[in-house]
Amino acid sequence: MTRFLSLILIVSISASCSDNTSDPLVQQSSELALKATDTAAETPAARTAGYNEERNAYFGDLHVHTMYSFDAFIFGTTSSPSDAYTFAKGGKITHPAGFDMQLDVPLDFYGVTDHAFYLGVLREMANPLSEISKHEVAAGMSTLGGAIQRGEKFNEILAFLRSPRANEVNDPVIGKSAWQDIIATANRHNDPGNFTTFIGYEYTATYSDGGNLHRNVIYRDDVAPELPFSRLDSANPEDLWDWMDANRERGFESLAIPHNSNGSNGSMFMMTDFSGNPLDGAYADQRMRNEPLVEITQVKGTSDTHPALSPNDEWADFEIMPFQVASFRSSQPNGSYVREAYLNGLKNEEENGANPYKFGIIGSSDTHNATYAGDEDDYWSKVGLRDSDGVRRGSVPLREPRAPGENYAETYFNTWSASGLAGVWAEENTRASIFDSFRRKETFGTSGTRMRVRFFAGYDLPLIDDNDLITKAYENGVAMGSDLLASAGKEPEFIAWVSRDPNSAALQRLQIIKGWMEDGEAMEEVYDVACSDGGSVDPITHRCPDNGAQVNLDDCSITRGLGAAELRANWKDPDYDVSQNAFYYVRAMENPTCRWSTWDAIRAGVEPRPDMAATLQERAWSSPIWITPVR
Amino acid sequence: MGRLVTQPLVWFVIISLSIFGLDNLIPEGRDEIFVSAAQKDRIALLWKTQTGKDASIQELDSLVKNWIEEEVLFRQALRLGLDQDDSIVRRRLVQKLGFIAEAQMGPEPEYAELESYYSQNILDYTLPLRYSFRQLYFLDQATANAQVSQAKLGNNISSSGTTSMLNDSYAFRSELDIDATFGSGFSLKLNGLPVGEWQGPIESSFGYHLIYLTSIHAEEAAPLKSVLDSVGSDYQQFQKLNARQRYVDALLDDYLIRYEEL
Repeated sequence: MTRFLSLILIVSISASCSDNTSDPLVQQSSELALKATDTAAETPAARTAGYNEERNAYFGDLHVHTMYSFDAFIFGTTSSPSDAYTFAKGGKITHPAGFDMQLDVPLDFYGVTDHAFYLGVLREMANPLSEISKHEVAAGMSTLGGAIQRGEKFNEILAFLRSPRANEVNDPVIGKSAWQDIIATANRHNDPGNFTTFIGYEYTATYSDGGNLHRNVIYRDDVAPELPFSRLDSANPEDLWDWMDANRERGFESLAIPHNSNGSNGSMFMMTDFSGNPLDGAYADQRMRNEPLVEITQVKGTSDTHPALSPNDEWADFEIMPFQVASFRSSQPNGSYVREAYLNGLKNEEENGANPYKFGIIGSSDTHNATYAGDEDDYWSKVGLRDSDGVRRGSVPLREPRAPGENYAETYFNTWSASGLAGVWAEENTRASIFDSFRRKETFGTSGTRMRVRFFAGYDLPLIDDNDLITKAYENGVAMGSDLLASAGKEPEFIAWVSRDPNSAALQRLQIIKGWMEDGEAMEEVYDVACSDGGSVDPITHRCPDNGAQVNLDDCSITRGLGAAELRANWKDPDYDVSQNAFYYVRAMENPTCRWSTWDAIRAGVEPRPDMAATLQERAWSSPIWITPVR
Repeated sequence: MGRLVTQPLVWFVIISLSIFGLDNLIPEGRDEIFVSAAQKDRIALLWKTQTGKDASIQELDSLVKNWIEEEVLFRQALRLGLDQDDSIVRRRLVQKLGFIAEAQMGPEPEYAELESYYSQNILDYTLPLRYSFRQLYFLDQATANAQVSQAKLGNNISSSGTTSMLNDSYAFRSELDIDATFGSGFSLKLNGLPVGEWQGPIESSFGYHLIYLTSIHAEEAAPLKSVLDSVGSDYQQFQKLNARQRYVDALLDDYLIRYEEL
């Protein structure tokens, strides 16, 4: 009995003498840092119901800002990441200006990518119960009024954030809390087989001259590092890649997707690295390992090519944003466009032995309202209260001219677009399958509609009316995003195929764009390969006849009975040279439709703005296929 | 009880307790700051997270030195009672606890709780009307008409039609899915079609289709077992929204609140 009692005494004494780490709350607070789990490397999950070995097309947006981004919250966006995913799945949420936003067709995947730069801070400043709301720069944040007042407050805060005192508001607790919510929300809304979410964020580096170097970091799995790497850590993307490489070792697989090269003033696709050194093999490997994709189109314009760079491409003037991001300073075309980057990549390969610009293509939006707005006729632009109506967007005149002859608001929002979408070919709608398609570069981008493009290259490809076209194309050829080795005595064959968006306009033409090196010079050519309405491609000009499709600018109605549901071609390059380093990518175009600015004008009962394009041809771009020459 | 008092073991325990208690009461001589390996690791990790690089030996030494100086100041501040009556410190600690409370996972919910949450939110787990069907695609109406006539005569038409990016068959597609694939309004045209025979031509944005409905799946609530994971995470989210309040309520239970009588 006494021995028993003593045992109890000793045990209870030792128990009461332990420190407080047995408090589960304290334990968890030290475990709040998310660690890599082994789930990613475990046994493969069961296939979901829609699994298709020959791959389905899925559409999504990998560039979405919510209340946690410093430049979304301040313009009225109070939508959370959860609201964003609810919207993407087809739910209705409210714009800060009070109207409803809802997709007609839900998206297949969505990635909330808030700015790592002061993540969550401005929102917390507006919380009167928070500590940071007492800081002098937070004054007025909880009672912000209209767009002009918000714009002024934004400029004030931005100036503070660029000042030496910025650290006073850099509270890691706020950032961590926001980041954990972003991660948990993505995981909660992820629904394998039905809807895929991606954990991610935006890294906002700029070059020394202010040129845009922003890229979005997208994680493959349900885990992510403790904190995102932001420009406060380094403004050099090469440091971001080092961090991503190190994290990959720790089990956090990710990739980064640059955007708005158009606004980079030549910095996004420079021919030297950040410090001015030539682009060597190590640079190319690291860049391609971490950045297999580029966002070619979004609200702030399209970066395929520029009329100055492609004078022989009649459609090169598509959604050109000529300015550097968030400014009226012009952005130089050289080094700012994807097609030229592909060409420079070939050039670099010839000169330095490596091609750092062999990325695949996607589109996305960059919405700061949490809501993708890619329909021209249902467009609310992207910056909350700043561009929530036609007058603010510069498509509808001001009530009174601001100066003689200046009838429109002084803004660059009029150069923006109802764009774009990321398209992938993946076996099923899951994170693993879609991320694999990113890595494989079997991806395409669209300017906001759901055209689907297929692209293959190889030798002995099937004919386009073959019943097992896709099976044989995969067997005998390579898909978009891949490399094909040239073969002496053989000519590569291509299959290009586009299917229309059933809820947008019919297709007008299918093109293959070729870029190659010839005697040390970069060359490019646009080939029409399939025409609608029974047209044939002219063998000399490589052009389809104009099918005459038009838009009525009074009501945006389009010509009936013109255009195709699908366009397909077996194609061989008439100017093929087996010794040339070359790439080819598909561009497909719809018949013209009204641009968002024309819809705005019609609804306001005014004429479309004369110096803006009244119509556009929605289009899709596939990732390229590179032909490695025989040497 | 008497027997206990005579046991040496009991006295041993009482004495050791006293020594332990006295030890805690008597102030120590030189304070110790113990820099554990875990603390060093934490400092190095923070550096790495912020800079992306491993700290060099000199950098780490300097960081640890900074931390030690901070620790000394921190302890002195506590000794001077600087944390008392400081509303900023108070608010900050409350805020930290608030974040932690929100992040805290509640206990594993009971099945009964999940059942109840599921029933109250049954619409979230209700599958809409869905169709499973085969389709054939034709560019012109005449060919489609000819083929459906052939089908009604009992002939096999499954290899007719034009290839397209559309599938030969679709399973469990909601009306929203179908409109996304074939164009808005197409799903309405499937309404009322009989199952098990080729019907059409039905027009879409692509052209003309013959549709063979293999089954119609009525709107139904997904059984709890099949959506248990979703219900679980939705329930936890619902709980999290009330987490701070429940945490405070749970803590309040441990206190007796008294007000000064005036």
